[in-house]
Amino acid sequence: MILGMTSRKAVFVAVVLAIALVLPFTIDPRGYTIRILCLMLLFAAMGQAWNIVGGLANQMSLGHAAFFGIGAYTSTLLLIHFGISPWIGMIAAGIFGGVAAFVISLPTMRLRGHYFALATLAFGEVMRVIGNSWSSLTGGPVGVSVPFAKPSLAMFQFKDTLPYYFLMLAALIVVTIIFVAIQRSRIGYRLQAIKENVDAAEVIGVDTTRTKIFAAVVSGVLMGCLGTFYAQFQYFFDPDTVFGVASISVRVAMIAIVGGIGTAIGPILGAMFVIPMEELANQAFSAQAAGLAQLVFGALLIVVILVEPRGFVEFGRRMVRRFRKGASR
Amino acid sequence: MAIIQAILDGLMIGGVYAVISIGLTLVFGVMGIVNFAQAEFLMLGMFVAYYAWAWLGLDPLLAAPLAFAVVFVLGALVHQVMIRRVLKAPAVAQIFLTVGLLIVLENAALLMFGSSFRSVSTPYQTSALQLGSLFISVPYLLAFLMSVASGAALWLFMRTSWFGRAMRATAQDPMAARLLGINADAMHRLAFALGVALTAFGGAVILPYLTVSPTVGGQFVVLMFTVVVLGGLGSVAGAVVGGLSVGVIQSLSALAFPIQLQNLVLFVVFIGVLALRPEGLLGGSR
Amino acid sequence: MTEKKGGYQAGLTRRSAMMLAGAAGLSAPFVARSAFAQGGTVNVGVIMPLSGANAQFGVNSRNGVQLVADEINAAGGIKSLGGAKINLVIADSTSTPTTAASVAQRLVTQNDVVAILGAFASSLTIAISEVTERRGVPLLTMSFSDQITGRGFENIFQVVAKASVLGKAQFDGTVAIAAASGQKLERIAIMYEDTAYGTSQATGLREGAKAAGVQVVMDDAYPLGITDVTPLINKLRASGAQAVFPVSYLNDSLQIIRAMRQQRIDIPAIGGAAGYVIPDFEKGLGEYAEGVLSISPANYDLAPEYTERFRKRFGYFMVHEALEHAVCMDVLAQAIEVAKSTKPDALRKALHDTRFEGGWTKAMTGGAVKFDKTGLNTLSVPVMVQWRDKELATVWPDNVAKTKAIWKS
Repeated sequence: MILGMTSRKAVFVAVVLAIALVLPFTIDPRGYTIRILCLMLLFAAMGQAWNIVGGLANQMSLGHAAFFGIGAYTSTLLLIHFGISPWIGMIAAGIFGGVAAFVISLPTMRLRGHYFALATLAFGEVMRVIGNSWSSLTGGPVGVSVPFAKPSLAMFQFKDTLPYYFLMLAALIVVTIIFVAIQRSRIGYRLQAIKENVDAAEVIGVDTTRTKIFAAVVSGVLMGCLGTFYAQFQYFFDPDTVFGVASISVRVAMIAIVGGIGTAIGPILGAMFVIPMEELANQAFSAQAAGLAQLVFGALLIVVILVEPRGFVEFGRRMVRRFRKGASR
Repeated sequence: MAIIQAILDGLMIGGVYAVISIGLTLVFGVMGIVNFAQAEFLMLGMFVAYYAWAWLGLDPLLAAPLAFAVVFVLGALVHQVMIRRVLKAPAVAQIFLTVGLLIVLENAALLMFGSSFRSVSTPYQTSALQLGSLFISVPYLLAFLMSVASGAALWLFMRTSWFGRAMRATAQDPMAARLLGINADAMHRLAFALGVALTAFGGAVILPYLTVSPTVGGQFVVLMFTVVVLGGLGSVAGAVVGGLSVGVIQSLSALAFPIQLQNLVLFVVFIGVLALRPEGLLGGSR
Repeated sequence: MTEKKGGYQAGLTRRSAMMLAGAAGLSAPFVARSAFAQGGTVNVGVIMPLSGANAQFGVNSRNGVQLVADEINAAGGIKSLGGAKINLVIADSTSTPTTAASVAQRLVTQNDVVAILGAFASSLTIAISEVTERRGVPLLTMSFSDQITGRGFENIFQVVAKASVLGKAQFDGTVAIAAASGQKLERIAIMYEDTAYGTSQATGLREGAKAAGVQVVMDDAYPLGITDVTPLINKLRASGAQAVFPVSYLNDSLQIIRAMRQQRIDIPAIGGAAGYVIPDFEKGLGEYAEGVLSISPANYDLAPEYTERFRKRFGYFMVHEALEHAVCMDVLAQAIEVAKSTKPDALRKALHDTRFEGGWTKAMTGGAVKFDKTGLNTLSVPVMVQWRDKELATVWPDNVAKTKAIWKS
C-alpha cells in the first residue's frame, strides 16, 4: 500500500498526475483551453470541498457559495484597503469561511435531507443580499476589481494563465488529500456512521454535533480559500457571481453529484464533464439561437442523472460489474 | 393606518403565494421530492394565459383554468418521462434532476417565446377600491379571490374525492395504500401534475399585474420555498398559512426595514423556523 | 490469475484520454487559423447575454451590430484593407461573468477577433475587459458603470456617458423641464433596483439633487425581481414627493406605473432608461405610457435616416442599446479604415486619436464620437425622452430636442 492506496491505484494516480503536469506546456499558456482547464481544476477543488459535507457527512448543502463569496471578498478587500498580499488574505479568507460554516451549522444541526438543503440555500441568499446592500463594505452590486499589479507570485497575479493552472492543480490536490484523510480517519468513521443512521450513531456514543460541525468548518475554510483563488484569477466579481445559487452553490454540488458523491475522484470527474460541456455547448450553439446552448446543457444533465443517479463513479462500477459478469462465463 | 394597509396588501398577495406554493408542498407530501423546477411551471402557466389573451382575447383570470389544464398534461408527461425514474434515487439525484428540468424549461421557453417581456392589458389593471384611506388594488383582489377559490376547490378535492383520499393515503403510508389496491405510481403522477398545474393557475392569475418572460420563475423560487417550509413541507393547509404569513411578513417588514432587505427578513425567519421548528407551523406528515 | 483488464481503470483512462483529445482538439485551431485579414475577413467578436434575464437586451444589441455590419459589407467592406468583409463572431455571454470572460478568451484565442463588442450588463463587460485588457484587444461597449472607465485601462471604449452622469442628467433635465412649465421642484423620490445599473444611476440622481438643494424625501432600493411593489408605492404616497425617479427594468417599471395609477398618484415619473424606453413599456401600459419621461443615453429620433433602417428590418423602433452598439460597430470599422490595419496597437491608437464623424456616429449627441484617455466618449450627452403617440421623442437638452416636453404637475 502506498499512501493508503493499492499499488494499482497509486500507479493510476501517478500517471494522471504526470499528464496533468505536462499537459499545460503543450498548449497556449494564455489561451482559451488552459483557461477552461483552470476553471475545471478550481471547480473540481470546490466540488471536493463540498464533498466533505455533502459526501462524507451526507448533508446536502446548497449554500456553499456563502463561504466562497466571503473568502473572495475578504482577501480582495484586504488587498484593496491595506495592500495585503492575497496569500495572507487567503488565510483570513479561510478563517472567515470556517467561522461562517460554524455559524450556519448551529441552527441547522438537526436538519436533514431537504430541510438542510433549503436552510443552507437561504443562508447563501442571505449573504448575497448582504453583499448587495452593504455597499460601503463590499462595493455593492457594482462589484469589486482586484487592483492591477505587476505580475508576481507574492501578489498572486500573473500575466500568463499557466501559473494559475499549477496553483489550481495544487489546490485540487491539497483539497483531495484532506478529503481522503478525513474519509479514512476516525472522524471519517463517525461521519460514515452518521450517514448510515444518525440515531444509531448517537446511541453508540458518536458526538454527531461535533463531528458534523467539524466537517462543515473544514469545508468552509477550504471554500473560503478557493474564493481567493477565484478572485485572483478573474480579477473581478460581484455579489451575484460569488454568492450565486446557480453560479456557485448548485454548480459545485452538481459537480460532486454528477461525478460521484462521497468518492475522492467524483468531483474531479464531475468537473471534467460539467465545465467543458457547458463551454462546448456555448461554442456550438449559442450563436444560433438564444437559449439553445443552455437547453442542450440542461438536457445533458437530465440524461446523465437518469442514466446513473449516483454519478459517473457508480456508472463505472456498474460497467465493471457487468463486464465481470460477462468475463466470468 | 399604514400597518393596516400593509397587512391588507400582505394578505392579498399572500393568498397568491399560497396557491403558487401548494403545488410544491403537494408534490413533496406525496412523493418526497422537492421540485426545484416548480417555478418554471408558473412561467409556463403565465405564457399560456398570455397567449390566450393575445390570440383569443381571454382575460388571464378566465384563462387560468386553461393554464391549469395545459400544464396538468405537461406535468403528467414530465412525471412519466423523468420524475418517476428517480423516485428511489438518493435525494441529491432527485434535486438535480429537477435542476436540469429547470434549465431545460427556462431555455425551451426562451427558444419558443423569445426573450421579450410580455404584459397584458386588462381594464382593471390600474383600478383600486378605496375604503377611507385604504387602497385595495383590484388586480390583487381578483388574484386573491381566484386563489381562495382554487384553494377551496383543492381542499374539497382532497377531502371528498376518491383521488384526493387515495393521494393522501399514498402520502401517509405507501405500503398500506398499495395493499388497498391504490396504484402508487398513478397517484404520484396525479400529485405531480396537479401540483404543477396549480402553480400554473397561480401564474395566470398574477399575469395582470406582472410581466412574463422565460426567466420570471426565478423571482418566485425562494419565495415558494419559504412558504412551504414555513407552513410545513407536505401540508397543504400549511402552504396556505405559510403563504399568508410570508405575504404579511414581507409587507410589514417594509415598514420597519429598507425594502431592499425584505428578502433578508424572510430568509432570517425561514432559517429561524427551520432551526426551531423544522416541521413548520402546521407540518408533521413527513 | 486473470489480470483485471478493461473495466474501471481502463474506462477512466479512456475517459481521461477523451478529455485530453478534446483539449488538444480545442487548442488546435488557434495554430492553424490565418492571422489577420488580407483582403479576406475581419473577425469581430460580439458577446451579448443571449440567455437569462437580459436576453431581450442582448438580442436587441446583437441586432444593432448585425445591421451595421451588413451595411458595411454591402457597401464593399473595409476599403483600406482591400474590401475585407466583417465577420461577426457572436457568442452568448450567459448571465455569469465567469462564463463571459471565458467566452471572451475563446473569441480572442480561437477566432482571432480584432475587437470585441459587448456585453450590455456592466458586470459582464467588466469581466470581459479583464481578459481583453490583458490581451490588448479593444473592447467597445455601451455599458455605463462608472467602474468601466475608472481603472486606467487602455483597451476599453465606452460610447455613452457614465452612470453617475446619466443619473445627474436624469435629475437636471427634469428640473429644467419642470421649470420651463413653471414648477420649481423641491421634493423628489428616488427608487431603484439594487443592481449595478440601478445603484450607480441612483448615485448620480442623489448628487444632482444635492447640488440643486432639492430634498430627497424617499430614497429606496428594492430587490431585482420584486414581485410586489405596493410597499414602495405606499411609501411614495406618504412621502409627499412632487416627482418620482424610478430606475427599473420592465417588470418593475410596469408594476410601478400601474400601482401609482391605482393609488391615484399623479406626480410625474421620470424613468432611468432600461425598462422605460423599450417598446414593451408602451405595449404594456397603453395610454398610461403617454407622457412618461425618461433619461436615455441616446435616442433614435436623433438620426432617423439611419435608425429607421433598424425598424424596417426588425420591426420595432431602434432601442438605445441597439443604437449604441450599432455606433460601436461603425466606430470600429472607421478605426480600422484609419489605421489601415487590424493590428492591436494600430487599432488602439486609431480608436484613441480619431474623432469619428459621419455614418452612425451622427446618431449620437454631438454628431460624433471621440474617446478620451480613459476610453470614455466625451461627446455623449444623455437626453431626456418622452413617450408621445407610442414613440419616444427627445425633449431635452434644447439643442437636440425634437419637441417640447409636456410636464404634468
